[in-house]
Amino acid sequence: MYIPDFEYYAPDSLDEACQMLAQFGGRAKVLAGGTDILPKAKTFSPIAPPQTPLPEILVSLKNLEELKKIEYVPGKGVVIGALATHNDLVNSELLNKKYMSISEAAHQMANNQVRNRGTVGGNLINAVPSADLPPILIALNASIKLVSVDGERVLPLEELFLDVCVTCCTEKEILTEVVIPDQKMTGSNYIKFGARRSGALAIAGVAVAVEVENNVIKDARIVAGAVAPTPIRTKKAEDFLKGKEVTAELLEEAGVIASGECKPITDIRGSAEYRTNLVRVLTKRALRKAIDQGHV
Amino acid sequence: MSLLPEYRDPSKKKEYAVIGKSKPKIDGPEKVTGAAKYCGDLKFPNMLYGKMLTSPYAHAKILSIDTSEAEKIPGVKAVITHKDVPSKKYGISPARWDENCLCIDKVRYVGDKVAAVACVDEETCYKALAAIKVEYEPLPAVLDYRHAGDEGMPNIHEEYPGNINTEIHQEFGDLKKAFEEAYYVRKDVFQGQRAYQSPIEAHCAISMWNGNKLTIYSTTQSTHYFQYYIAREFDLKMGDVRIIKPYIGGGFGGKLEPTGLEFNGAVLAKITGRPVKMFYDRADMFYHNRGRHQGTYELTTAVDKNGKILGVHANFILDGGAYTSLGIATAYYAGALLPLTYEFDNYKFDMYRMYTNLPACGAQRGHGAPQPKYAFESHLDNIARDLGIDPLEIRLVNARKPYTTTVNSFDIQSCELKACLERVAELSDWRKKKKEGMPKNTGIGIATGAFVSGAGYPIYRNDWPDASCMIRMNEDGTSATVYNTTVDLGQGSDTVICQMAAEAMGYRYENMRIISGDTEAGPMDFGAYSSRQTLMSGWAAKRAGEDIKRQVLNMAAAMMGLPPDDLDARDGIIFSKSHHHPTKWQPLTYEEVVSQYCKLYGPLIGKGMYKVHATGGTFKGAAVGTSPAYSFCVQAAEVKVDEETGEIEVLAFYDVHDCGQPINPMLIKGQVHGALYMGMAETYWEEVHFDPKTGVCLNPTLGGYLLPTALDMPKIIKNEIVDSYEIVAPWGVKEVGEGSTNPTMGCFRNAIVDAVGVTINSTPITYEKVWRALKDKKEGKQPAEIKMPPPPANAAVKPY
Ligand SMILES: Cc1cc2nc3c(=O)[nH]c(=O)nc-3n(C[C@H](O)[C@H](O)[C@H](O)COP(=O)(O)OP(=O)(O)OC[C@H]3O[C@@H](n4cnc5c(N)ncnc54)[C@H](O)[C@@H]3O)c2cc1C
Repeated sequence: MYIPDFEYYAPDSLDEACQMLAQFGGRAKVLAGGTDILPKAKTFSPIAPPQTPLPEILVSLKNLEELKKIEYVPGKGVVIGALATHNDLVNSELLNKKYMSISEAAHQMANNQVRNRGTVGGNLINAVPSADLPPILIALNASIKLVSVDGERVLPLEELFLDVCVTCCTEKEILTEVVIPDQKMTGSNYIKFGARRSGALAIAGVAVAVEVENNVIKDARIVAGAVAPTPIRTKKAEDFLKGKEVTAELLEEAGVIASGECKPITDIRGSAEYRTNLVRVLTKRALRKAIDQGHV
Repeated sequence: MSLLPEYRDPSKKKEYAVIGKSKPKIDGPEKVTGAAKYCGDLKFPNMLYGKMLTSPYAHAKILSIDTSEAEKIPGVKAVITHKDVPSKKYGISPARWDENCLCIDKVRYVGDKVAAVACVDEETCYKALAAIKVEYEPLPAVLDYRHAGDEGMPNIHEEYPGNINTEIHQEFGDLKKAFEEAYYVRKDVFQGQRAYQSPIEAHCAISMWNGNKLTIYSTTQSTHYFQYYIAREFDLKMGDVRIIKPYIGGGFGGKLEPTGLEFNGAVLAKITGRPVKMFYDRADMFYHNRGRHQGTYELTTAVDKNGKILGVHANFILDGGAYTSLGIATAYYAGALLPLTYEFDNYKFDMYRMYTNLPACGAQRGHGAPQPKYAFESHLDNIARDLGIDPLEIRLVNARKPYTTTVNSFDIQSCELKACLERVAELSDWRKKKKEGMPKNTGIGIATGAFVSGAGYPIYRNDWPDASCMIRMNEDGTSATVYNTTVDLGQGSDTVICQMAAEAMGYRYENMRIISGDTEAGPMDFGAYSSRQTLMSGWAAKRAGEDIKRQVLNMAAAMMGLPPDDLDARDGIIFSKSHHHPTKWQPLTYEEVVSQYCKLYGPLIGKGMYKVHATGGTFKGAAVGTSPAYSFCVQAAEVKVDEETGEIEVLAFYDVHDCGQPINPMLIKGQVHGALYMGMAETYWEEVHFDPKTGVCLNPTLGGYLLPTALDMPKIIKNEIVDSYEIVAPWGVKEVGEGSTNPTMGCFRNAIVDAVGVTINSTPITYEKVWRALKDKKEGKQPAEIKMPPPPANAAVKPY
């Protein structure tokens, strides 16, 4: 198992990093925790060539301390730096208090070693369909900021994802932060369904956020992962719920509608039919939990 | 049984000083601190790195190989193809040597060995491999074992027409009559999957030559078989081949045979004159494989009104992969071990092991037995359900009794299967749960198992002792070193052997040392397979220990002025059994006596050996499955099934073992927990997937091939051993290694069926399969039936 040679830079500022990316063009890629980019570039044997060869140049963001913070900025919301690790999400007091469901989602990822290194930014830009953070972040209406020498742009997270492992983040851009705006939502929740309790990728995952008042759903966002090329919002199910009183039948029906909106594939981890069923079940259960536990 | 009442009466049991105690593992500190060096950690001056080029096709002719570009790359020290290696075929089962160091004219699976390189570093190896040009002519491939024998299928090995690797037909008693006279006959077909051992440590071999002498450091389960087979391949004398086993990180049957790493590494080392380290990566391991065979298992059983088994017909077909590996033994084991747990007089066993263009299968923990046993235990539950008999009761009705002989001529001495059944029933509260019922979607299942405590005959025909051992006292008596060639794969054999040696010597475990696994340092032992070491190597250690003790007592007798018969030793103290006096005949220490001995006579050495007595019948294949003694065990699992997702949660697991007298209870627990871990995952997760069109492995990683984590282990695990003593074994021991995997899949399957009332006849019983079965049931659909494939067109005998 070896990694081919590459050039390595670790700029000291975001500006410098952006300049490097602009200068190197397609020859360079950003290195965050490295838990996606490095294993994928390893040659495990002649019979298992690398999934994605390494670029010539890696630009490590490790010195950009400001991108590691998780803080509340009044008027903006909770700002999660792109370099925050999964364990930072798990252990952040701010998130535990305000968005426990994000900490919980992060805790279900990978294993402790990977959670210590893997970052939010890497998880989003890597953009595999089974990634665990996009569903809950999209459910909470997160926006992201992309920065490059040409300036910066802010966009809803759900617009980032274009296809399997394809995002609208260009080779010049760096994802700097994820912002969770102040919420009206009263509850949220992410359920991951993997074959084992630890270190398994999601066969399907569903995140929901709901605003419930007097047992009536005023607003709902439902996002399914691992059941389409990108994380998807099941908008028909969301619309169906709005204005209705919470009953077991209602949640069941929302699950059925949501499952009709996903486009899963069949692979060795599960058939399309099974994944569709999981979306139904997980949607129902995630809604129930989000409603009952009464916190986001 | 009243054969040996003194052993069976707990009140008369001898109090032992060293055995029967959970002594800490002798290699524990080295392993947990990282000081222990495994093969992959070793480096030698001037050492080169080697890798093999493997086939991208499942089945293809090799038209040409051009290595010229690869040879030009700086840092490439040697490139070899079949022209540079012996053309003699090798294998581990002597009746079918069918593998070449490097393929000559044909590749037979994706991953088959084509060329090898030795370079200054690993990176250069990959560059060199990429520069080797091989021209292939792809051939149609045989990827489904169920059709490998069909008319018109491509032939994989010329010597084996119709792709039949092994064909077995055995019949005992009068099955026809049993079926005619039966109250009830049921037939079921089950299917198992390909599983892989997945030891933590990858295979590695470092080869070096000194003149004509070859030394290989290797991740091996048997230094002797490596020495023998490697000497054979290179026409060397055994004395010119030295195999050294460093610490091993698990084998589970996958490291019993030498591989391309040893054979090609030795050639590369010879050509370059430098040590060459070759090693697998995780993906290579999956391709090299030698894991669990997949198969289809048809069972037909006749019973009387009470569920007493009258006769069984086992009709099996196995996917052997491209080569034999240990597969002949696997094929025989599959049927041979079935009659162990239950008594019946009529039995027929038919088996085809088919060649396919997939990686070769071999011996994985439980060797050939676990899938058939899973099938039989499931089948038995089906019969019990049809007859309205409790699964526990049908097993009690049929359970083997001690001092019986199986229908296929295996002599059983100790057997506490009934006691195991009763104890599992108590621990799990079986009868209460059955009477009062369990909460919705929860269920409990039970299954039995049995296994050999060492194969009765060696893998290749020879009449060397099965095990031998030497013990040398340090001259001042402060330590004793065991020299043997047993293999501690992590199971703890070094610990157990030292406990047994110390007990026999009357010495202290804490002062024992062991040098195992070096053919030049220790006498011959066949190594770690067929769960043989505690009984077989244990005998040799016990006898070597007794030899030391005899010499020590003789010396002490002279020093004390007492007859040797009056002396004994315990915990390193030599004392008179009859003379207790405040000043005279004072006890002596091992240190005093051994020092005196060595000053007078030189080295103090004890030796011992063990050879299995003649076992088994005389029919074809009678040798496989013979053993000096058999372990028995019963397991029960309680599971909860999520109706909507099919997810299975294990609530509790119970295991009760008859493994003879225990040497180290903690290590027994370790084996049972490990077996549970493996068996549980083989029941519902583990499966090596291949692309059905290309034969490419789809999940050759630890992310794709899921093994349980600590979080997945059941919270409640109760395991116990029953009182048992095996007369042909040292201190009455029996195995606990492989046998514990035998009941696991069956008890889980039975628990799942009990929980949700649907039948799933193929493993792994994935969550998706459970969900689908429940859905089918709800929709009134019949579950998809598994069909027994027709016998191969070329079969000598077609039983049905
Ligand atoms: C054993 C194991 C288990 C795993 N389990 C899970 C799991 O359960 N759930 C899950 O979702 N994931 C899992 N992963 C995947 C991985 O850990 C996560 O996706 C992680 O968040 C990736 O972050 P990273 O910082 O390591 O990314 P890196 O590997 O450093 O980068 C990934 C990609 O994103 C780009 N990138 C990274 N940061 C930025 C940035 N700020 N701006 C622009 N581009 C950027 C990189 O160029 C690269 O293309 C697992 C990985 C492993 C090895």
